Amino acid sequence: MIDRALNATSRYHASLWLFLVCCVVATIGAFAIRDLQTASRDAQEMYAGSVHGLQRIGELQYDTQETRRSTLYALTTTDSNLQVEYADQTRAADQRVKDGIAEYRSLAKKPAEIALAGRLARDWANYLNVRDEVLASILEGSTKEAVNLDLSGGVPAFEYVRQDLNEVKHLYDSDASQRLDNLAASWRRASWRLFGTLGFTFLLSGAAVWTIQRSRMLSAIQLAKLQMEFVASVSHELRTPLAVISSAADNLADGLIAGKGSLRKYGAILQHQSRNMGHLINDILLFASTEDGAKHYILQPVQVSAIVDSIVSATEGLIKNAGFTLDRHIEPDLPLVIGDLTGITQCLQNLIGNAIKYGGNVRCISLRAFRAPSDKRPDREVRISVTDQGIGIDHSELSHIFDPFYRSPRVQAAQIHGTGLGLSLAKRIAEAMNGRLSVVSELSAGSTFTLHLNIAKGEEIEMAREVLGLPSSSLL
Amino acid sequence: MLRNMAKIAIVTVLIAWPQADAARTPAFIRDPQQAQPSALSEPLAIVVNQSNPVDNLSFRELRRIFLGNQSHWANGRRITLVMRDTDEPESKTILRDVCEMSEDQLKTHYLHGLFTGEILVSPKTLATSMGVRKFIFNVPGAIGYLRKSDVDATVKIVRIDGLDPDDKDYKLRVQPMGANSGE
Repeated sequence: MIDRALNATSRYHASLWLFLVCCVVATIGAFAIRDLQTASRDAQEMYAGSVHGLQRIGELQYDTQETRRSTLYALTTTDSNLQVEYADQTRAADQRVKDGIAEYRSLAKKPAEIALAGRLARDWANYLNVRDEVLASILEGSTKEAVNLDLSGGVPAFEYVRQDLNEVKHLYDSDASQRLDNLAASWRRASWRLFGTLGFTFLLSGAAVWTIQRSRMLSAIQLAKLQMEFVASVSHELRTPLAVISSAADNLADGLIAGKGSLRKYGAILQHQSRNMGHLINDILLFASTEDGAKHYILQPVQVSAIVDSIVSATEGLIKNAGFTLDRHIEPDLPLVIGDLTGITQCLQNLIGNAIKYGGNVRCISLRAFRAPSDKRPDREVRISVTDQGIGIDHSELSHIFDPFYRSPRVQAAQIHGTGLGLSLAKRIAEAMNGRLSVVSELSAGSTFTLHLNIAKGEEIEMAREVLGLPSSSLL
Repeated sequence: MLRNMAKIAIVTVLIAWPQADAARTPAFIRDPQQAQPSALSEPLAIVVNQSNPVDNLSFRELRRIFLGNQSHWANGRRITLVMRDTDEPESKTILRDVCEMSEDQLKTHYLHGLFTGEILVSPKTLATSMGVRKFIFNVPGAIGYLRKSDVDATVKIVRIDGLDPDDKDYKLRVQPMGANSGE
């Protein structure tokens, strides 16, 4: 099954596969990079947050101590000016603590943090009430009263604050641990994705390389097979007339042929067979020249009527001998087309030859020349079609009939001789003239091959008019 | 010995009495011309802590407070008197117009009061008006004086005999900052 799939896989398919692989790898890689970026950003935020958070908690603890320390410093002097300075210091410190608590409250998200922030603010306010009383007593000069107040109210109130701050730090540490765990998990996830991406890339790349190599190998095998078939077919096609010619020559040499009638008959046989061989060799040479690009066509404006006349003249005898009739439907006033008359004639001759070969019992071939599309679109062209009502082509074979040396198994089974070069040659000629060849076919109903030719325009028409000596209106 | 000292003290008091009596006469009554606000003078505001419920003091109450004769506010809070150095114009105004004493007399008065227990605490002396303001801000029972231009929202101005410092008849005035002292 794989081989069958690979048989159907051309280089185009392999390239498509490679492109898809690249897309998948790029997508997964993008996810991995995004994960790494997220992890890196988390790490940076965590580091910055931890440093800032710890710094703020440290500042908060320091400022609470500073508030208390400055208050107590005021006890150490009786100089009112110094006491006022200490009062200033303690109030500045307590304002910083209030700001810090407000910041903590605004950042608190978990219920425990919110509750703790509220408790801390309350405990700090309680301490400040005592602190104000102590400070007032110090400034009033009531040192003993200040000490008593501080011991009875200030110390326990400050202890609550200290415990609250310790709890803040503990909660922060827990949160930091949680974030550290999340970060580690994020790193692990990113690493796995990266390894997965690399592994997947390796596997897919290997598969793609294998597919391409296999495809190339199969192509080479197929080409070799086709060439062998071609050699066999050509040998067969050459051997038949050669055998006839050889036999006739032997009879003539042995003097077995007597009489003018017999001689004329043998002469006709030799002439016919040698012409057949000549046509065959011409086909092979033409194919070889188109294969390596040695064949060059001179593209110039050509009248469709000249093409039709040429093809009718070239195939008249063939059609007549085969017992076929040719119906011509040529649209009037067709414009000049761009092409090489010899090439177009060769192309159409191949198509008519095929129509005769595979035309079946309804011995009628239709030759049509018309302009399409019918409206005034700029991409209009002239089409020349050859239609038979013969055996037709299976849909599964339509994509192969233009391959060189391809011969349908059905045709081979029917012992219809050929080299498999006719349609391939016709297609190459059409493309060499910037045209194309298309086919519409139905099994047991017949086939229509259409040659699409570009319409000449501008300077090309002027040139043709001068060459042909015709009025410009007659060329459009 | 002690008896002799008491006699000397009594004699000293009797000799000084007429002067002291004259000094006790309020400036408003004693020298009407001096009582007129000068165009070059600046009001001297009496300020208390913002939490102090007192909004108005009579001149007599003010004098009692500044002489240490009233030690507590009506709400029971202890009064802490805040003063500037005595060579400052503001202190001179208070000495002259409120205490009606010289610097030495006031010192003696306080020493005597503290010695006899009539005065509980001596006034706090601060070097700057900002220090006075901060002291009063921190001490609920504090009272002091500031130039009107030095008063801010941290302290509260007390009316004297119903007069604001900006009132025309307000009597406590001090030379503006930078003016030459004629005293």
